[in-house]
Amino acid sequence: MKTRFSFGAAASALVVALLAFGAQLGLRHFVGEKTLLSPDAVLAISFGVEALGLLAAGFVASFFGGLRSREQFVSALLLVPIAFGILFLVKPPSFSYDRFYADKPEMLVWALFVGASAFLLGLWGASAGLLIGAGKKPDLAFAYEIGIARTHLRLTRQTALMLLWIGLSVPGALFGAGILTDWHAGARDLTLWHKVGACAGLGSLALLIGYWIRTRVLNARLLPGQAKRRPATLVMTFISIAGVAVGVWALTVVLSVMSGFEADLKQKIIGTNAHAMLLKFTDDFSDWKTVIPTVRAVPDVVGATPFILNEVIIANNKGSPSGAELKGIDVASVGTVSELPKQVIAGDLAWVETPQNIPMTAVAPHAGVSDQLSGDDYQEYLDSTFGRRRDHPEEGSASKIDPSALTKMPGICVGKEMSHSLRIWVGDVISVITPLGEMGPTGPIPRQKAFRVACILYSGMYEYDSKFAYIALTEAQSFFRMKDNIVGLEMKFRDVDQARGVGRKVVAALKGFPFRSKDWADLNRNLFSALKLEKLAMAIILTFIVLVACFNILSTLIMLVLEKTKEISILKAMGARDASVMKIFVIEGVTIGSIGTAIGLMMGLASCSFVQRFGLRLDSDVYYISYLPVLVDAGQFALVACVSVCLTYLATLYPAIKASRLSPVDGLRED
Amino acid sequence: MGEPIIGTQSISSAPALALLEARAVHKSYWLGQKEIHVLRGASFSLHAGEMASLVGPSGVGKSTFLHVIGTLDPATQGAVLFEGRDATAFSEEELARFRNETIGFVFQSHYLLPEFTALENAAMPALILRKPREEALAAAREVLQLVGLGHRIEHKPGELSGGEQQRVALARALVLRPRLLLADEPTGNLDEATGEGIHQLLTELNQKLGIAAIVVTHNQRLAERMPRRLRLHEGLVIDAA
Repeated sequence: MKTRFSFGAAASALVVALLAFGAQLGLRHFVGEKTLLSPDAVLAISFGVEALGLLAAGFVASFFGGLRSREQFVSALLLVPIAFGILFLVKPPSFSYDRFYADKPEMLVWALFVGASAFLLGLWGASAGLLIGAGKKPDLAFAYEIGIARTHLRLTRQTALMLLWIGLSVPGALFGAGILTDWHAGARDLTLWHKVGACAGLGSLALLIGYWIRTRVLNARLLPGQAKRRPATLVMTFISIAGVAVGVWALTVVLSVMSGFEADLKQKIIGTNAHAMLLKFTDDFSDWKTVIPTVRAVPDVVGATPFILNEVIIANNKGSPSGAELKGIDVASVGTVSELPKQVIAGDLAWVETPQNIPMTAVAPHAGVSDQLSGDDYQEYLDSTFGRRRDHPEEGSASKIDPSALTKMPGICVGKEMSHSLRIWVGDVISVITPLGEMGPTGPIPRQKAFRVACILYSGMYEYDSKFAYIALTEAQSFFRMKDNIVGLEMKFRDVDQARGVGRKVVAALKGFPFRSKDWADLNRNLFSALKLEKLAMAIILTFIVLVACFNILSTLIMLVLEKTKEISILKAMGARDASVMKIFVIEGVTIGSIGTAIGLMMGLASCSFVQRFGLRLDSDVYYISYLPVLVDAGQFALVACVSVCLTYLATLYPAIKASRLSPVDGLRED
Repeated sequence: MGEPIIGTQSISSAPALALLEARAVHKSYWLGQKEIHVLRGASFSLHAGEMASLVGPSGVGKSTFLHVIGTLDPATQGAVLFEGRDATAFSEEELARFRNETIGFVFQSHYLLPEFTALENAAMPALILRKPREEALAAAREVLQLVGLGHRIEHKPGELSGGEQQRVALARALVLRPRLLLADEPTGNLDEATGEGIHQLLTELNQKLGIAAIVVTHNQRLAERMPRRLRLHEGLVIDAA
């Protein structure tokens, strides 16, 4: 059947696509301006709306009958110059760098991109239209189509149970193995249900293997021809399900590990650095004591503490210098914004303000730390610092100085890595040198001061543990000659993800200028955008696995269509509509995809649980994380499932449309 | 809802208009570059409730003719009128509906869906019409009784004999009480005695339900017994009565 070019279809597709494009631009503008949503969220929402609109454009076009690919192509072609014109008038910010306007080549690329997605998404939308018999009497029912699809897939109650058994056994066994490892290690958080679940999972896999062996043995005894033959398409169906499952599995596990890394990093950065900083455009922040109560009164602000930050050189008595960030902190309030007090592995944070309490003898590391830090590396570290202090205290320069002078020395806390490289322990003396000294005849003379180590900190971030040192705020003010001035306030909010919005509220409460706030995301923008980009790249690469699995589904369905030509013909002779035949094969493909996705998600979930429980060790020298971090994010799993099912739906379209266009007589000719 | 599941349709509703009329139907196929002209202006008409046999040597185009008048295959030229309406002008949706409700097909092979029971197979046209499942199965049960298979409704086609399979196919063709039954050598794969039984059943049903039928057959003896005999010769339909 040749259909004529429909101007109505092309025009309506173009109008809807233009509306979608306009909605995208409008949303990006309005939502971006008016809300506190992150730029990524605004981008996702506006492009999501555009994509839905383009799908709708194809859907509308399908009401003029058929896929209408020619009309959609023409409308997409027309959309390109129109979109370019609109972009030219609107002057949107550049996509890659939002401080510049987009230039003409970029706008052209965008217009072409809009045209291409309009065509592809349009075809997709039109396929949905075909499915419901759009343009004629719509037919939303699919009862007998499901029945026929089920027989094609041999989905009887028995095979469904078998599939469920296989689908649950492997992840169940993985989950069980994880629990068993924990159980073996004597974990306390395991309930009876955990243990029962673990045994059930492992037992089910064992039963499955046993069943398989039994079937093989029984089959081996059969005479040739006695064995039940399975059609090739059934085997291919199983392979297709497995393909999708493996793709989804890989995707969820890798994304969960990357999320784990991101969350770990975020937690460490926020643990050391607070959620946001309140700074001033001027140098003078000596009114901080009056500012703090205002800041703390802002809703959603949990804590605020003053700080001073300067770069210095730290050297031990042997003179090996090391660059460092010296931070002056208020010990009383620092705990309200960061995890610093919890990061102490030896000594006491309070001793930076009360250095007379630092013991003359070597203090042992806190118990409980060894849980977190164990292994040969840690032992070597303790030997070179704590052991040295205990056995050779004189090397820490303690013996050369008068003990009464020692007690008057101010205290300093250093990170574990710094203490390692300088070979210092609590009680040792180090020199802090700042280049911001007084003017001498030859220029500024660096100023130097001796401090005694009050505590050792461990944050888990190599950069922080090797670079940061903490002293009392008053000590920092006098060392840097700042009088009562500070650099800024560190703040902690109720919800870290709202940092940007609450930061703005704080600045507003202080009447704006000269105050400004920088949240943790601003402060570490490069790091997190690199992580996000890496995650996106991984997601795209791994989606290709699912895509390949979809080609599997495609070929399985093509084989099925060839196998069932007669059946399709007889159904059509009985009055089945094209849309019904299409539904049958779409249902089959989506069922294969959904079963595969479900199994893949369970495998992913079980693997993540296994990795979490088993604790896969990492080389901490390389990653500075001793165990592979995993974060199971329900939203991420849902997104993977969505992408996978959508891709399998796309894979069904070609065979389904081919099948629906078969003429009834194709399969009825006697051969 | 009010329409009866069983009952003869009023035959005398439009006496002037033929149930089915083929007007100068041409049909040709392309085999590569070679055109094969199968039907060369075949014309004939059939009245409601009429029963006819169609004979002719193998390869003369009997099946093609049946497909064309059954709207399964479009004619290259000419018109197929059903109660005066031109079926060649139907849209895909109208065609489907037309085949579903008005025509019943029986082929040489039964073409039953192997995974469904006889009952479900017979109910398929009703399910395609989106009748509720219970209603469709009830209608199928009734029509299976009619073809004498009331006791084997839960069997799958693989568990039925050739004659039984063809009876189920016949039940399937009749479940929606079509106006016209097109049978393409329904007994071609059966032994003589079983074939005889099927033919007898066809005749009975024609008389009982008033369904018009065209039966293609190679069996001269069976063809002779039909009230009307058609012959396809060189692409034309010749009334042999």
